[in-house]
Amino acid sequence: MRAALALRLALLALPLAAPLRAARAEAPGERLDNPELPTLDGGRARLLGAAGEVSVFVFARPGQEHSARTLREMAGCKADLAGKPVRFAVVVSSSAAPAEARAALAEAGLSVPALVDAGDALYGRLGVKLHPVVGLADREGRLAALVPYQAVNYREAVRARIRFLLGEIDEGALSRALAPPRADMPGATAASVASRDLALGRLQLERGEGEKALASARKALSLAPDSAAAHGLAARALASLRRCPEAAADVAAALGADPAEAQALAAKEACPP
Amino acid sequence: MPLFRPGARPLALLALLVLGSARAADAAAAKPKAQALSVAPLPAGDKVAWSHAPYEAGDCSLCHQRNDPKSPGPIVKGVVELCTSCHEEFADVAGRKVKHPPTEAGCTNCHNPHNSRERKLLLAEQTALCFGCHADVKLVAEKSRVKHAALTTGSKCVNCHNPHGANVEHLLVQLPFDLCISCHSKDGVSDGRGATLTNFKSWLEQNKVWHAPVEAKDCSACHKPHGSDSFRLLVAEYPAKFYAPYDPANYALCFGCHNDRVVAEPTTTTLTNFRDGSRNLHFVHVNKAERGRTCRACHEVHAAKQEHQIRDGVPYGTRGWILKLNYTKTATGGSCAKTCHNAKTYSYKAAPEKKP
Repeated sequence: MRAALALRLALLALPLAAPLRAARAEAPGERLDNPELPTLDGGRARLLGAAGEVSVFVFARPGQEHSARTLREMAGCKADLAGKPVRFAVVVSSSAAPAEARAALAEAGLSVPALVDAGDALYGRLGVKLHPVVGLADREGRLAALVPYQAVNYREAVRARIRFLLGEIDEGALSRALAPPRADMPGATAASVASRDLALGRLQLERGEGEKALASARKALSLAPDSAAAHGLAARALASLRRCPEAAADVAAALGADPAEAQALAAKEACPP
Repeated sequence: MPLFRPGARPLALLALLVLGSARAADAAAAKPKAQALSVAPLPAGDKVAWSHAPYEAGDCSLCHQRNDPKSPGPIVKGVVELCTSCHEEFADVAGRKVKHPPTEAGCTNCHNPHNSRERKLLLAEQTALCFGCHADVKLVAEKSRVKHAALTTGSKCVNCHNPHGANVEHLLVQLPFDLCISCHSKDGVSDGRGATLTNFKSWLEQNKVWHAPVEAKDCSACHKPHGSDSFRLLVAEYPAKFYAPYDPANYALCFGCHNDRVVAEPTTTTLTNFRDGSRNLHFVHVNKAERGRTCRACHEVHAAKQEHQIRDGVPYGTRGWILKLNYTKTATGGSCAKTCHNAKTYSYKAAPEKKP
């Protein structure tokens, strides 16, 4: 059980948060202290949310471009996860000008507790070393990850980790979110070009243009010689042109590959032996 | 390029009327849109390099109401629906997370459904087409002091972006690192000034302690892929030499994430563990009016063999000599053997310095 938990938390922390491990006092999986800290508005608040909530705490530096962007991204992330047991907070250094910090939060549209880290004690204890960093703790208050700034896909990287901690997505979905599949150009493969020729051929056949449909089917077959659908279309086009002896070979090839190929069955019916 | 040729105007206007869907209007409102290009067939006499099969076959009524090339009438369905009725593979693109508004609004925002001088039936040369809307990128690409060859070679913009849809922000085909490494993984590649560029595949294989942005596959945290005024396409200032007078503005790149106070505060017990007691050794090394050691004196920015990307050695002088750092980590700090200075050891657990 404990090993499984460690593995889950390690997955959250890696690969993106790995460089922070060496200097961090609390490693992923360790229960965090939950200090009550002063807030920018003069009150006090805890670092972590209530039991059962996933905690998100953003170490930000007012006046820094990356922090400003991160606060905006986290405002969006909070909106994405509205209504879910997730508690956001921001941590700013006591050396930051309070008015500037308040303005940064207001500009980002992020309305969350803003904790003041006196003497950067929390920052030092967690070994953060950077601004901005988004810290995540699971529902039991264990450190899950410290995610440093990313110029690309930061919001998605944080949101996916939160959803994983909430149990909404599994490890596979988390991995896909952190390393999205390559988005190749459609139509880059012979199969996709053949499929396009087939679609055109079907339209031509519907319009009664048997010769054109046959040409499209042959073009598709030149790219995908074993395609049952392309042989079926060729057979149907030939049948429509009353060239049944020629259609027989394509009927056989289509039904050999797919006994239920509809166009080939229709051609067979139109060309009785 | 002429937007509307005199001979093509009636057809072009008709085509634009057909394209005038509400979604197109929404997309145009979201981003400044370049003046629409004609989707009419190229006038007779123009050099046609590529032709759409149905147009070539004279099958106007596959898309239009009439099979009359002189008066084909409006198209019979919405543009996207019409195109995907043959180009079925594009249906998958709709499921990708990052959308391109012109693509969603209509394929004919970029493609001529009849014929073209350009590959893929594009309405204009690919980069010009992209820059027609992305004027901000055009400006960076054209005005920057340091250019990136990726914009002008191979598939140009499409080397990195998929204009139909993608799973990574900015329509990137993959995360930035996976794209960059596809070119920056070769030996003997030079930049525009003849300087050799690192083969990052082998460098990262040999050096397992990676900088956080490298680990996050986020080269764009430090580099501007479209062009920059800073060397190596850096997003902000970073000292190019071993020594530099300390000025935070020179370290804008590093301080974009790292805390500038780590160099500004003479003493600390929280900002860094590179300290002897509370004596901040980052301050000692870097914060000097004249010969401050720059980040590169001790840290390898992409990857190194030791924690904190502390480098084995640094090129020093003009003759390629490698100055060894001889850094050794200890349980509570580390030591540097005789190189820049006599062997010295530090410990962040040492008693804090007493204030005078």
